[in-house]
Amino acid sequence: MALLEKVDKNIEARAWQGEIPIQSRYTCGLAGEKFFREIMENGRFAGTHCAECEYTYVPPTIYCERCFAKLDEWVEVGPEGTVQSFTVLLVAPDGTPLEEPDILALIQLDGADSVLVHRLGKVGLDELAIGMRVKAVFKPKKEREGSILDIVHFVPVNA
Amino acid sequence: MGLRKVAVVGAGMTKFVRRAQETGKELAYEAAKMALDSCELTLDDVDGVALGTAPDAFDGVHMKGEYLSDGAGAWRKPFMRSYVGGGTGVFAPIQGWYHVASGLFDVCLVVCEEKMSSCQPHPQGAFLTIFDHTTERPLGPNLLWIFALEMNRYMQTYGLQKKDIALVSVKNKRNAADHPCALLGDPNITVEDVLKSEVLAWPVQRLDVSPVTDGAVALVLAAENVAKRITDKPVWIKGVGWSLDTAYWTNRDLYYPKYVEYAARMAYEMAGIREPRKEIHIVEPYDPFDYKELHHLEGLLLADKGEAPRLTAEGVTARTGNMPVCPSGGLLGVGNPIAAAGLMKVAEIFWQLRGEAGKRQVPGKPITGLAQAWGDLMQVGTVIILGIGG
Repeated sequence: MALLEKVDKNIEARAWQGEIPIQSRYTCGLAGEKFFREIMENGRFAGTHCAECEYTYVPPTIYCERCFAKLDEWVEVGPEGTVQSFTVLLVAPDGTPLEEPDILALIQLDGADSVLVHRLGKVGLDELAIGMRVKAVFKPKKEREGSILDIVHFVPVNA
Repeated sequence: MGLRKVAVVGAGMTKFVRRAQETGKELAYEAAKMALDSCELTLDDVDGVALGTAPDAFDGVHMKGEYLSDGAGAWRKPFMRSYVGGGTGVFAPIQGWYHVASGLFDVCLVVCEEKMSSCQPHPQGAFLTIFDHTTERPLGPNLLWIFALEMNRYMQTYGLQKKDIALVSVKNKRNAADHPCALLGDPNITVEDVLKSEVLAWPVQRLDVSPVTDGAVALVLAAENVAKRITDKPVWIKGVGWSLDTAYWTNRDLYYPKYVEYAARMAYEMAGIREPRKEIHIVEPYDPFDYKELHHLEGLLLADKGEAPRLTAEGVTARTGNMPVCPSGGLLGVGNPIAAAGLMKVAEIFWQLRGEAGKRQVPGKPITGLAQAWGDLMQVGTVIILGIGG
């Protein structure tokens, strides 16, 4: 009986190989279009502001999830911000050690109420602190392609 | 049963398009906001949100329910996503109904969204994985050819010809020419156009089937005491029903959708309807393929078995006929963003019963209408009956 068979190695289990053969072609949306163009063309962060809720969304949304108002007031935020939390990745998803630690952080850009997740760079592990001031580093303009990775990382303001 | 009366009091929908520039969230927002605005309610008035959306793989976002929640107006509210494949668009308002009927909420926002254009190279790739991975998937099943098997069986059972069935596609695409949100309305399409279109999987041809679509639809449901404050034209949910047949789709006799009959009988009983053909004035059965409208009319007991093609040929199901069927233009004409398409049908009944369907308005002041959807592994039927007065 299959349930009682002891299989010591995964490759010994009898299996049917299969895959789900689909790819996704995502739209960045009405708000995303403006956000990524602003990064790509001007190296700036565009957010939307809800006057009713006094809340600024970055990445922007075309509506306020709190009051459902349509948002058309655009504001520039950042490029500096404050680290709200961070983590240091030492192991890759496949279990192998990373050659260089990868640092991910929650960053509240100046002027924003929402919080952006991105990488930190050019910072020693012993310098990391919640509350530290950081600023965005964008790729050279000709290399930008309208992606969140057009932002290379955030680095300490005083670096 | 101690259930409260529940009314539909508002509705909204986006255009149905081949590929929307908006994200799924943005589509959901546009429909939800329009529905709330239509009955002059705000998010503060909404007690809970029921979301319907089909496979995660369409939008390419796992936990798509949560992903869509802010656009659906669910911030810090009780939020439920339901999913019964293609039947979702009519199941979501049923879920909204029991949240209000039970007394739990006074106002429930129902939102259905689908963004199928994200799925490449074609959403059929996602459908491949709904089948058994060992016994069926190696054969590369997709919905076109499994429904071709069903259509062929239906045609053979009653001696039908392709031209009998193509009339449905012609009727619906012509009806859709009057729908401002429609993707495939065509006032001049003919049976010959359908019969000359590309054969995809015999007997299914290109114009027998609805297209891949992006879109969203929303309804506002309210308990009786609230509904009467909001509007003098509440449209009551009179009955609901749903049923699931065996998941071994090969084991059903595909000529007749028994699960639709069970769902319909449940809804008729709740609505106190004994003679559906006299008491249902307007019908929006699920029509992703032209033969399915016929199949479903028979399952809904609105036509004798094998007789729905004759009713169509005689004009009974035309917008000006005795029993208008898919006056919206249906999935074949308006488009088929799966869950949103089902809810579009419920919205159409709402607009028709209130006399707000514009150029699509059926004559004769209908007071009772039925919407139905179908899905999962082609074995779920979902039915809702709406009515005014009483």
